[in-house]
Amino acid sequence: MSAFIDARAVPSGQAVETDLAIVGGGPVGISLALLLAGAHFRVMLLESGALEFDEKTQDLYKGTLAGDAYLPLEASRLRYLGGSSNHWGGWSRPLDEADFEKREWLPHSGWPFSRKTLMPYFARAQALCETGSYLYDGVKRQLTEPEIALGEGGIDTRWFQFSKTKNDVLPTHFGERYANDLKRIGNLRVYVNANVTRLRLARDGNRLKTIKVATLNGKRFTVKSKFVVLATGGIEVPRLMLASNDVKRCGVGNENDLVGRFFADHPCPRDVGTLVIFDGRMPGYYLGTVPVRGTVMRASFTPREDYRLKHPVMGSQTTVEYRDELDAIGKAAVAATASALGVASSHAAVFALGCGLEPAPDPDRRLTLDHARDALGMPRLKLSMRINDADFAHYRKSLAELGRQLLAARVGMLRLNLKERGQWLEGLDWGNHHMGSTRMHVDPKQGVVDATGKVHSVDNLYIAGSSVFPTYGASNPTINLIALTVRLAEHLKGLFK
Amino acid sequence: MKLALSRRTLLIGGGVAVVAGVAAVEGPRLFRKRYAPSPYDDLLDKLDDRDACAQIGERALAGKAHFDADKVADTLRDRLHHRRLNRVMVEDAEQKRVAENAGWVMPETLSLLCALAAKAG
Repeated sequence: MSAFIDARAVPSGQAVETDLAIVGGGPVGISLALLLAGAHFRVMLLESGALEFDEKTQDLYKGTLAGDAYLPLEASRLRYLGGSSNHWGGWSRPLDEADFEKREWLPHSGWPFSRKTLMPYFARAQALCETGSYLYDGVKRQLTEPEIALGEGGIDTRWFQFSKTKNDVLPTHFGERYANDLKRIGNLRVYVNANVTRLRLARDGNRLKTIKVATLNGKRFTVKSKFVVLATGGIEVPRLMLASNDVKRCGVGNENDLVGRFFADHPCPRDVGTLVIFDGRMPGYYLGTVPVRGTVMRASFTPREDYRLKHPVMGSQTTVEYRDELDAIGKAAVAATASALGVASSHAAVFALGCGLEPAPDPDRRLTLDHARDALGMPRLKLSMRINDADFAHYRKSLAELGRQLLAARVGMLRLNLKERGQWLEGLDWGNHHMGSTRMHVDPKQGVVDATGKVHSVDNLYIAGSSVFPTYGASNPTINLIALTVRLAEHLKGLFK
Repeated sequence: MKLALSRRTLLIGGGVAVVAGVAAVEGPRLFRKRYAPSPYDDLLDKLDDRDACAQIGERALAGKAHFDADKVADTLRDRLHHRRLNRVMVEDAEQKRVAENAGWVMPETLSLLCALAAKAG
């Protein structure tokens, strides 16, 4: 077993060579390194942090915010081995088929491939994320307590699985979980405390020549690699590409002014609705996780695929959060409606609803370089955050549809709690899912990377992670970006044949 | 063996039975809350909980600049003619005839009945 290399001990000015350099030791970088174990080429993993949280390293993430309120850039991610999986909630669900489709009503929609292309890679992704066997909506056939009946319509109950480590601790923290596995890989060298500060293009601008590494104790060295994969997440990848502007003023891969645009996260407005179930029976799997055949699962209300393709609604999920109470008007609404439907409501139960909202792609929700610099001299970022009223309106439509279907089935009803923009923004939380900022498209004018994840304009540079998502879905990105990484690993192996 | 019941007891017992029967059948109507007569009573009689409906209806009316109660009543009479209210409620939901009152998603027919209940006072 070989120990990790502390980059702070590498002599300044040294040039280190490898065949494939992975920048970033988060879930993507670690997975890619594991997947390339035993390959006949040399792999190097460069991680900015070490094995534990360090304030000075975390400080490198700081940036400024403009526009709608968002989390401080250093608060929504973690910069040490395992990356943001160190605060991962473990929610997992493959993106829906509709997420990959071009929808006429939704500008910038459409992945370069369908869900079918990605499906073969989920088995391995499930194993890496430790989410158990692939069940998801297949669990419907095995339920002893039936799902809440809904009338025919656009919303259905859909299922999440949760990442689970061997010791039943939720969820998998990739650094802690796989550190020893990484040390056992013969063709891999892992550098910790190694911050990549610049991508150096060759003079013609079509190939990456070297990458520059700096440490917080003042060491600087270069890495020369045949291929480079950026796996530093949806904020740091565009930062590095934009800041590497010595050969091309626009930065690396930014000839069409796309790097940093289309940034997205999942807004999570609170208390979006009030759900009443007339007979009071709410299966526990809507309110929290339950074990099913060795996996951990939870149900949510989600727009159906066919509904999403025909109607202007996104994939936004509705979750049942906690028991609630009705005000006077709510009591009157339930009494009037239940009696008119001819059902009893004396045992009615009330629940608050939460949401994971999928925003529409927006080129002006954007990361740009700021004037301020970090301790390593790298420009910090400015995020111009924007949530459009249409994003809230799309979701409200889904929630109203759920309400209609509850009435049609005579099982319950719901109240839409938020209407005005200010109400949606009040107490708004975020999924910490950084997506879209180096989007994938077959056309270089519409995407930074091609369908394999290669940067269009740079022959030996790839990007892995949710920054390549052209649209975002409402499924949590981790399992999906790991599936994409499994696919990329196969592609990279092919390059060395 | 001689029957122990006297004719008087039989009469009293019979009377009690008749009163109990009438109370069971007519009681809910007799003891139901009385409202001032309105032009929409034929419709509002279909509601089990008219007070609750009126509360919702007040909210519904607050959001409507023009509400032609007579026209709405005619529409509802057509819709509910010889039909059970609960069947029409489900049909409303199935046919996407829903309305939002104070945020609550409700069948449109019920929403309109609520507005009439509020109008009727």
